[in-house]
Parts: sequence; C-alpha cells; structure tokens
Amino acid sequence: MSARDDILAAVQKGLTQGQGGAVQRRNPDAIRAEAAQLLANLDEIRPDLAAGDPVDAFVAKCANPALGVTLDRVANWQALPRAVIAYLDQHDLPHRLSVSGDPRLDALTGIEAHQPCAPDEAAAISVADWGVAETGSVVIHSAPDQPILNAMLPRHWLVVVEEKKILPFLDDYATYAASRPRNAVLITGSSGTTDIEGFFVRGAHGPGFVHVLLVAG
Amino acid sequence: MGASAFTQRAHDALADPNLKTAIDRTTGTAETKRAAAVGAFPEFQAARARGAAIKDHVIANLDHYLVEFERNAQAAGAHVHWARDKAEAAEIVTRICKDADAKLVTRAKSMLGEEIGLPHALDDAGIERVETDLAEHIIQLAHERPSHIIWPAMHRTREDVATLFFKDHHPPPDADDPASMVASARRILREKFMSADVGISGANFLIADTGATCTVTNEGNAELSTTPPRVHIVTAGIEKLVPSTDHAMALLRLLVRSATGGEVTQYTTFHSGPKRPGDADGPEEMHIVLVDNGRSRMVGDEFRQMLRCIRCGACMNHCVVYRQIGGHAYGGTYPGPMGAVLTPVLDGLAQSRDLPHACTMNGRCEEVCPVQIPLKTLLKAWRVRSWDSQQEVGPLRMGLGLWGFAARRPRLYHFGTRLALPVMRLFGKGGWIRRMPFAGGWTDTRDLPKPAARSFMSQHANHGNEGPK
Repeated sequence: MSARDDILAAVQKGLTQGQGGAVQRRNPDAIRAEAAQLLANLDEIRPDLAAGDPVDAFVAKCANPALGVTLDRVANWQALPRAVIAYLDQHDLPHRLSVSGDPRLDALTGIEAHQPCAPDEAAAISVADWGVAETGSVVIHSAPDQPILNAMLPRHWLVVVEEKKILPFLDDYATYAASRPRNAVLITGSSGTTDIEGFFVRGAHGPGFVHVLLVAG
Repeated sequence: MGASAFTQRAHDALADPNLKTAIDRTTGTAETKRAAAVGAFPEFQAARARGAAIKDHVIANLDHYLVEFERNAQAAGAHVHWARDKAEAAEIVTRICKDADAKLVTRAKSMLGEEIGLPHALDDAGIERVETDLAEHIIQLAHERPSHIIWPAMHRTREDVATLFFKDHHPPPDADDPASMVASARRILREKFMSADVGISGANFLIADTGATCTVTNEGNAELSTTPPRVHIVTAGIEKLVPSTDHAMALLRLLVRSATGGEVTQYTTFHSGPKRPGDADGPEEMHIVLVDNGRSRMVGDEFRQMLRCIRCGACMNHCVVYRQIGGHAYGGTYPGPMGAVLTPVLDGLAQSRDLPHACTMNGRCEEVCPVQIPLKTLLKAWRVRSWDSQQEVGPLRMGLGLWGFAARRPRLYHFGTRLALPVMRLFGKGGWIRRMPFAGGWTDTRDLPKPAARSFMSQHANHGNEGPK
C-alpha cells in the first residue's frame, strides 16, 4: 500500500476501533453542516471593534504603538502624490520608489518609479486589496500587478488602502480567500522580532516602517 | 534517553545560572503579555471552547479533510506527498531538493521540520541550509536544537548572541544591543533569501476547502523564504487541517494571543500552489508533504485530544518545571507540558518515561491552553502506562509500594510522620532546610521548606468538630 493509503487506513481504524470509542462516521454534507455550525454566533468568540464604524476602528488600531505603523488620511487619489512626497521628505528619502505596477499608481507625479523591488530598496509602494478593522491589517493578493516582494524587501513600505475596502472582521476577509490567490498576505504593522530575550526590535526581515495611506472617496 | 540522562540534564540545567536568567527574561515577558491580551478579549473563554470543538471536529473527520485538502491543493497546482514517519518525510524533502538541483535552501522555522530531522538530513545530503528565523539563525550558529517552540533560542542571553554574531557575521554587528544584532542578521540573511534554490516552510494551518497552507510569522522570513526560490516545500503534520479560512481565523485569534500576546502576527500568509501565469513573483513549483509520524495512532488512543494542539507554547511559559530546567533538558523536539505528552508518542515511552513524571500537576498548563487540552490527564495516562509496562526502576516501585502500604493504614502513617517531622525540623534553619541526609536530590539545587511547628493532622485533631460540615 502507498503511504497515502496506509495513513488514511490508520486514521479510519483509529476513528472506528480506537480505545476512545468509535466516532460516528458522517457523509460529507453532514460534515459540512457541522463545520458551519462551529462558526455560528461569531460575536461570541471574537473581540469587539475598537470603534463602531469599521474605518474609525481601523484608524484606531493603526494608532496602537505596538503595531509600528503610521497612517495618513488622504482625501482622494489625486491627493496621493503629495502625501507620498510628504512622507519621503519627512524621512529624508529620495523621491524614488519601487512601484507595484497597480495602474492606479501610474499617476504618481514627482516620483521616479521603477520595478522590481531591489533587495536593499529604501522605499516601495503598493495598493492593498483590503484592510481589516479588527486588527489594523492590510491584505494583498499576489497578481501580475501585486508583487509580494514589493511589500517584503523595502525598508519603508507605503501601502494605499481605500476606505471602501475596509472590512470589519478577519472573518469578513475570509470570504475573499475563496478566490484562491496564489499568495494572500495579511500584514499587520512593521516586521519585528522578540527572539533576543523577548526584547521587541522593529524591522527584522521585512520593512521596519509601514505607512498606511487611507484614501477616502 | 534513559532515566539518568534526563536527571543529569535537569541537574545541569538547574546548576546553570545563565540559563535561568535567559529563561526568566523571556517567559516572564511572555506571561505578562499573554495575560494582557487575554484580559483585553472578554470572549476568550468562549473562543477557547469553540477552538477545541473545531479541532475535535477536524480529528473526528480527519480522513475526509485530508482527502479534500489534497484534491484542492492539487487543483491549485501543488504536488502533495504523504509520509508515514520522519525518515520517509525527510527523504521526500531531500529528494525534491536534489531533483531541483538545489545548492542553497532557506528554511522558515517549523517545529515539524525539527521533528522529522530535516536540518540533519539536508546537511547529510550536502545541501547548504540557511535558517532564516532569527532565533533559528542563532541556534544554527551555536550548533544547537530549539529549546522552545516559539522562541527557539530562549536559552541564550543577549550576551551569548553577541558572542556568536561577532564571531560569525562578516562584517560583524555595529554593537551588541538587540537592535544592532537584528540589523546584522537582516544584512547577512538578505542575500541568502535572494539566491536560494528552494525555500522550506511549515504550516500553522492546512485549509481543506481551498488547498492553501498558512504560515504566521512576525519577522517576514516565511514570505522571503518562500517567494524568491524556484521551489517551495511545505512540511506539515496531518493534524494541522481546518475546514476553511474562517475556521483558521477563529483559531488564529487564540494562537497569537497565547503565543506572543499579540492579536495577530505581523504576517499571516496563505500559500496556494505555484506562480500563476503573469504573476510578478512566486515559486515555479510547490510541494506539500503531509506527515503522520505517530499522529494516526493518536487518533485511536487516549492521546487523541493532544491532536488539538496549535503549538502556541503557552503551556511551557507557565510551567514551573520548564521555567527551572529549560527546553533542552526534556531531550525531545517538543519541551514543556505538551512535549512531555508528545515525546513518548514520537520517541517511545521507554526513551522518555521521565518526562510525564517531571510535572507537579499544578494544572497551570491546562488553565492557559487555548484549545483546552487536558494535559494533566494525558500526563497521568503516560504515568499509568509506564507503571503498567513495568518501566519504573526497582527502588521507585519498592518505595511507592511501602508508601502505599502505610497510606492505607492511617495509624501507621501518623506514627511514621510523628517520628519523621521532628527529625526534619532539626535540619531546618530560618524556615528552610538547606541540607539533609537522603534528600540531596532535592536540596542540591534548592531548599526544602522546614515543616511547620505543628503538623496539619495534629492541628486538625485539636480543632475537633469545629470545621464546616
């Protein structure tokens, strides 16, 4: 027998003849129904949002110093270039960015844009597919115009999120995982480590600085 | 590992003040941060019960979910392999590396990788292996094994790490503070990430209805280990399945709070198959190795509930024994209370019968376990098996036999304690006994409390019938 057959047979034997008593075997529909039942009344097993409105809750989460992010509210896409340049100037960075390839970033006037992200890139910009209010996370799905490394390699990562893409809970994002992207990354704050004596250090392997540009309208 | 080997390791650990300092610094922080995270999540107890129910549901239908996961992972273009034991698993991974003509492999921390002996297998195959998690990088430089499942280098102080990095990093770190040392590791490992042929990760969850594998990290090393190389290999235990991404989210809330005291890790990544047409980056091949290694046996015995474990490490952070002796003394891949239950499954009871005994039964591990594993009950079950299979040494069986004989005869028992207590008090000084004949096993590394002036039994006798009915 193959390893697969052996393992499945051993599991089935354990379930039907084990010391713990036989487990009732069910058909796939009954299994699915039970699995769905385990997600009933989600409000009983998840925290409340930091504010009533998901956008306000997202902003409040990003203000938590433990996350190590900064956030700037931008009126609309037209106002984005000025907000980007303001951040770069504040950190004494050149007006040069690795840009993900999202067409909405084509109009970044005053920025020298390039691809792909270099291993020692100072700053890069991406557009998040969603934000999650519960945790202050942003989500990216790998795609031709969404390189994963653009979010992982730079020292400073700027990420644009539209207010209309803020979802309340992690569970609300989970629905979108059904589209099965190759890579779905939920990013919550800057990279960090506590591996030396539990002491938190920002900027382990990923970006040490994450700047969220929250676009209204 | 024989009885004396564990005792010797525990003894050596207790005598090492540097180790005690290192463990206290990290476990103390972990305990405080977890308590704060749980305190800020009033739904935690309800979430734990649900988490336990989700895992029980998965185990009760494990064959169904394994097949569903395999079908969906294959549909996404991943190759799915099955391994009965650790030798088979390590062989599959090294074969994939050789087929890919791999010279350099990056690894993102995975305890399952340690369990199947992957570091060794890759080294033996002559493939350069680079551990990318900072703690794993530290212990790779020190030629050690992890001593904790979340902080593998917990036994190392910052001074130890500085010594290792100044010797091995070229150029060396700018200074010996944690920030400079982390920056140095980032510099050194960055070029490895970009030039690796194969990236190997574990999985915190396997999502049955999408076929995706999920990793959680704070450093971002999993994403950097699995995106640039040509081949991504996942090794995962078969108990890691969950029905859907939604179920993973419910467990994620428990896992991260219990492990590090965060709400979520900085990076939670779902990996599904190789690079798609037109994708900007990603591996050309993805392989998933599903590892049994004793788990299917646990489905059928009294240790089934141990398959709920989501590897948060809270049980060891709160264990009075772990906090005294550290992880290496346990001798297995997994230390602490969860390790004391798992190691006899993985390595055999004859090799590890000391571990279920190295427990005070104070129950702290059970109280903090985010999926309500009855760790005390499971540890007792190993003690029973150990006794029934005659693995206790002669003097212990005889001593327990004598104790049992006396305990069933209250008059004899009280007579014995009336004789012994005054003798013990003679050795006490300032409330503690520092040294006493026949008690060296205890007093070599710690003091014994001096018995109270009057025993509980004699005080109780005086109270007569005053106590509550």
